[in-house]
Amino acid sequence: MPLHRLILKELWHRKANGLLSLLAVTATVALFVAFFTTAQASKRETVRVTRDIGFNVRIISRETDMEKFWADGFSDRMMPAAAAQRLADYKNVFFAYNHLVATLQQRFDLQGHRIILAGVSPAITAPDQRNRPMGYSVKPGTIIVGAEVAKRLGLKSGGSLEIAGRNFTVERCLVESGTAEDVTIYGALPDVQRSLNLPGQINEIKAIDCLCLTTDQEPLRRLRTELEKALPEAKVIQLRAIADARARQRQESVNYFNFITPLLLAICAAWVMVLAVQNVRERRVEIGVLRALGYSSGKIAGLFLGKAVLLGLVGAVCGYLLGTALALHFGPAIFKVTAASIQPELSLLLWAGGATPAFAALVSFIPAMLAVTTDPAETLRET
Amino acid sequence: MVSCKNLNKAYRGQSGEVRSLDGLDLAVPAGEFLCVRGPSGCGKTTLLLTLGGMLRPTQGTVQINGREIYALSLRERAKFRATTVGFVFQMFHLVPYLTVLENVLAAAGGTNSPAAPHRAETLLAELGLSARLRHRPSELSAGERQRTALARALLNRPQLLLADEPTGNLDPQNAAEVFQHLKQFQRGGGTVVVVTHGATAEGLADRVLEMRAGRFVP
Repeated sequence: MPLHRLILKELWHRKANGLLSLLAVTATVALFVAFFTTAQASKRETVRVTRDIGFNVRIISRETDMEKFWADGFSDRMMPAAAAQRLADYKNVFFAYNHLVATLQQRFDLQGHRIILAGVSPAITAPDQRNRPMGYSVKPGTIIVGAEVAKRLGLKSGGSLEIAGRNFTVERCLVESGTAEDVTIYGALPDVQRSLNLPGQINEIKAIDCLCLTTDQEPLRRLRTELEKALPEAKVIQLRAIADARARQRQESVNYFNFITPLLLAICAAWVMVLAVQNVRERRVEIGVLRALGYSSGKIAGLFLGKAVLLGLVGAVCGYLLGTALALHFGPAIFKVTAASIQPELSLLLWAGGATPAFAALVSFIPAMLAVTTDPAETLRET
Repeated sequence: MVSCKNLNKAYRGQSGEVRSLDGLDLAVPAGEFLCVRGPSGCGKTTLLLTLGGMLRPTQGTVQINGREIYALSLRERAKFRATTVGFVFQMFHLVPYLTVLENVLAAAGGTNSPAAPHRAETLLAELGLSARLRHRPSELSAGERQRTALARALLNRPQLLLADEPTGNLDPQNAAEVFQHLKQFQRGGGTVVVVTHGATAEGLADRVLEMRAGRFVP
């Protein structure tokens, strides 16, 4: 009788054992599939949260007077605007820095008010970056106005404002931030360079540190080493509180996954193994008889490993369907902002279909060996 | 057919070593019906399993048709068992999830013979089980179960049939029927070794040996 028929018949006969094993495998696969399917949304949500925290690295001229820098809020020394592109072109720089935004900020007197005029370039991101770049994207001829400036000058979205003899359209007015941003007007970098009569100049490159290391992991030393190679005329300041918050947010999601994965695997492995051992014990006489009938060790092991592979395959398909259904049903309520990115992942079915039977067979290996090494004579002598 | 010399088997129990076979010598010529009789625990089942290549003796040799079976590898011994030896047990030991026919055919798993299905049905017909082919063991009477086990043991046309208390769970009528089938196997040229603690087989056996504490006694 072919091995697969014996396996199927035994599964049908001992339904409870088979169903419990299938349940363990299905539940584990379903949790993994649900987790991975929503992971994309979770990742985007994390990115959104960390992006909202803001830039955490400031690259300024090495010659900057730091007392003045902290008093003014920006560097008094200029760098060529091309420095940002030079930094971006440096090999592997995006392992350490991302979302490079060249800026030029200066105090500016406007209709009797002392404001900050800030020019921002489009962000330069890593080549594989698919998310929206950080920072404001300001079109030439338009401005984004801080809350306090808008209030004092009576500006509204769609209105216009003259700066240094040029008219700009107000693209939008920001809500109150409680920072210097409230007294800032953002414009496109070339527009601001022209308004300030500083063509081709910037005084800062804002960036995100991609190392995502907390303070105790010395990210600043690594950032400085990288910058030294790429842009020796500059120095880097890391906004530690923001960088730490960002690093912790990212690390926490990774740590959570690293914790949940082995835990799930261990629970499933223990569950399947206990059931497989119980199955071997129940079938001791049957094993003894099959040995007496001339079944080899390989065939006996095949009975148990084959059963595990079959349960793994069925569990993978059931788990995939259940996990996807769970992710699609509950995911949007958990990840409200990025709900649209929760979609069935067919690649997970392939992964589950390959890995689950292998995992089930691996877990059943010890029980299968137990079956092979069970002395048939002992069993038959006792019964 | 079967030749054993100085057969010893010792088990390590909680209260020390237990000798199940104690320097036993035995020769069973081909075509003989041998009955080994003795009280429970005297080593009968151990002897039977040792003769069938299922239980390696602590000491001594077992030759079947001139081949030392414990010199064979595990795989060779499994194949040897499948083709040469048939077992019948007191508790029948049918696989509960297989039908009568499938239980008999399970014996073909060790040989993969293509003629097995026809042979199985013929055997079951001879044993009066034609109407029971698709039944499960749980749906059979004790006598039917033992006849199914007998068909399973005979499927691969073994030369040696080893029966451990084959009628221990049967009423006298079914027991007599099973022994008739064993006798018929012998008449066909087979060798039969039956171990029992009763006297049921004595009238049919060519020779009866009495066993006590792992030895044959006069």
